[in-house]
Amino acid sequence: MGITAEYNTTAGRVVIDENEGHPGIKATTLSYGQINDEMLAMLDKPRPSYYLLLLGFLMALGLGVLSFAIQVDVGIGYSGISHPIAWGFYITNFVFWIGIGHAGTLISAVFYLTRAPWRTAIYRSAEAMTVFAVFTAGLFPLVHIGRPWLAFWLIPYPNERMLWVNFKSPLLWDVFAVTTYMSVSIMFFLLGLIPDLAILRDEAARKGKKLKALLYAPMALAWRGTNHQWVHYMRGYLIFAALATPLVFSVHSIVSWDFAMSSVPGWHTTIFAPYFVAGAIFSGLSMVLTVLIPIRAVFGLQDYITNHVIQSVSKMIIFTSIIVGYAYAAEFFIGYYSGSPFERAIFYYRPFGEMQSWTLLGENQINFPQIAFWLMVFCNVIAPIPLWRWKIRNNPLAVWIITILINIGMWFERFNIIGSSLQHEYDPASWGEYWPTIVEVGVTIGSFGFFFTLFTLFAKSLPPMAIMELKEGTNPPMKHAAKKDINE
Amino acid sequence: MSKFTGVWAIFEYLDETTETIEQVREQGVQPTVLMPCPRHEIDHALGEPGTLVPWIALAFGALGCLIGFSLPAWTASDWVLPVSGKPIVAIPPFTIIGFELTILLTAIFTLLGLFLLGFIDSCRFPIPKAAKKYRRFQRDRFGVVVRCDSSRIDEFESIMKKNGAEEVHVEKE
Repeated sequence: MGITAEYNTTAGRVVIDENEGHPGIKATTLSYGQINDEMLAMLDKPRPSYYLLLLGFLMALGLGVLSFAIQVDVGIGYSGISHPIAWGFYITNFVFWIGIGHAGTLISAVFYLTRAPWRTAIYRSAEAMTVFAVFTAGLFPLVHIGRPWLAFWLIPYPNERMLWVNFKSPLLWDVFAVTTYMSVSIMFFLLGLIPDLAILRDEAARKGKKLKALLYAPMALAWRGTNHQWVHYMRGYLIFAALATPLVFSVHSIVSWDFAMSSVPGWHTTIFAPYFVAGAIFSGLSMVLTVLIPIRAVFGLQDYITNHVIQSVSKMIIFTSIIVGYAYAAEFFIGYYSGSPFERAIFYYRPFGEMQSWTLLGENQINFPQIAFWLMVFCNVIAPIPLWRWKIRNNPLAVWIITILINIGMWFERFNIIGSSLQHEYDPASWGEYWPTIVEVGVTIGSFGFFFTLFTLFAKSLPPMAIMELKEGTNPPMKHAAKKDINE
Repeated sequence: MSKFTGVWAIFEYLDETTETIEQVREQGVQPTVLMPCPRHEIDHALGEPGTLVPWIALAFGALGCLIGFSLPAWTASDWVLPVSGKPIVAIPPFTIIGFELTILLTAIFTLLGLFLLGFIDSCRFPIPKAAKKYRRFQRDRFGVVVRCDSSRIDEFESIMKKNGAEEVHVEKE
């Protein structure tokens, strides 16, 4: 036992111990061939339970498609969206899914630049989640606008009436931000996949599976792993990480400006950008664990996604939970300190409902925004508190339950912001009430079905972990210089 | 496809590969190396080769920034929407479009650039067909390919054998 090598990788300076391996990642003691075999074994023919799971997600997706079809047929009036509440479940879902899409790029880009070694085991799945979550989010503006076939009006293109879109509108900023984020996330995801697709191509050819080899060959883009290819690739990857980092923080800031740029009480505040970004990272990291903890158990990946990895993500969740909790409190203070009766009114309305009573027991007090508010506080501020304890963080089941609660809480946070402010704007004569209709609930369930269907298909068709990076992080095969620092 | 004359070998160990690369370079030839994952040791042995990818990123980032500011400025001037005497060409909101298009164009052209450079290099530094078909370079083996005249083949073959190559292949076309 002892240190066998110390060297720099793209994931930072790594000390390899022949028995312990990388701190927290036992896979670093495996050979290149073992990593290949174990990762490729995950892509073997799935068990019947896999198909059962997929069927469940497809049924949820089918419900969503059916609900949307009904809405298109009858019209947007079939949803609960009406004056004065023009933004309901659909925009809540849009903001929620964009938030889920933040963790992947955070893990793959920000933690790549900061050299967090535990990212290697989870970044591929997290990145896939980003891509699928942004796909899901991207559907909601189309669902929401009522006449999705006219969505192209948002794109600035020369037209016969010489009309242009308004670049001063935050909604158009959002179009550019989300489109850019989606494009860059997809490219980053595919870029990371190329060396692994070459592995799949060559392994399929080695095992005589010609059809698979033919399928993977064009996707691998003639990758041979030459030093020329690697040098361009690694520099390009670094540039992508550097580009994606500000993008992570900008996208949800811009989404938050959809609200903050308007003069609606409860929305018009400068805290929104950092508040939304922290919330997005909070929910995204929670979704990563919600998805990966069962995958780890099903595929037996305890050597790769170790408790150390789960603990590290949990610590990030604690950190962002504090920021989110602080933002909730700061919002109330800003509402009080503004001196504006409208701001004060909305921040009374959110937790307590109509201003008839100081208790929740008064008549007609409980409405959807109040349920959303208290669920949000419980799930996002109180439920993560147990994660402060090492024992809880070290218990994947406990962490998994907490992350599910956080996902629920973050959905309701978005609804709390959107729903409550629109129900109680300035003039009591134009106040309204919002309850979702069956089609909105159906489309929401469908969005979860869409996301999980894509992820389930991904988990069995592409390596859920970056084989190339796992090899990079492991002890390289050395004949003589095993105890020498080979970088010096 | 270019015709290939030279030697290529398969190595199991990283240190043997780097030794071979250094000795081949001492003979005035720059080899091509195949590897299952990027290794800094190999970059050091090859003399830290550079890449044009950052320059491509910079050029197209600048172009994206220019388009990101000029498109909104032009469209705002072409179809004027006066609101409360606020500036028609307003820099703060256009900064967002400028930022997004800077990132988008940089990303697209970085990706295209690294594919193009990879393709150009594969033409400039061809590797033999048999080396391309050897499946374990993506798995767990390192490869060193040396392009040279027929007269120098023996010299490089002996370097590779001396350094513990698993297999050495000579190609003459």
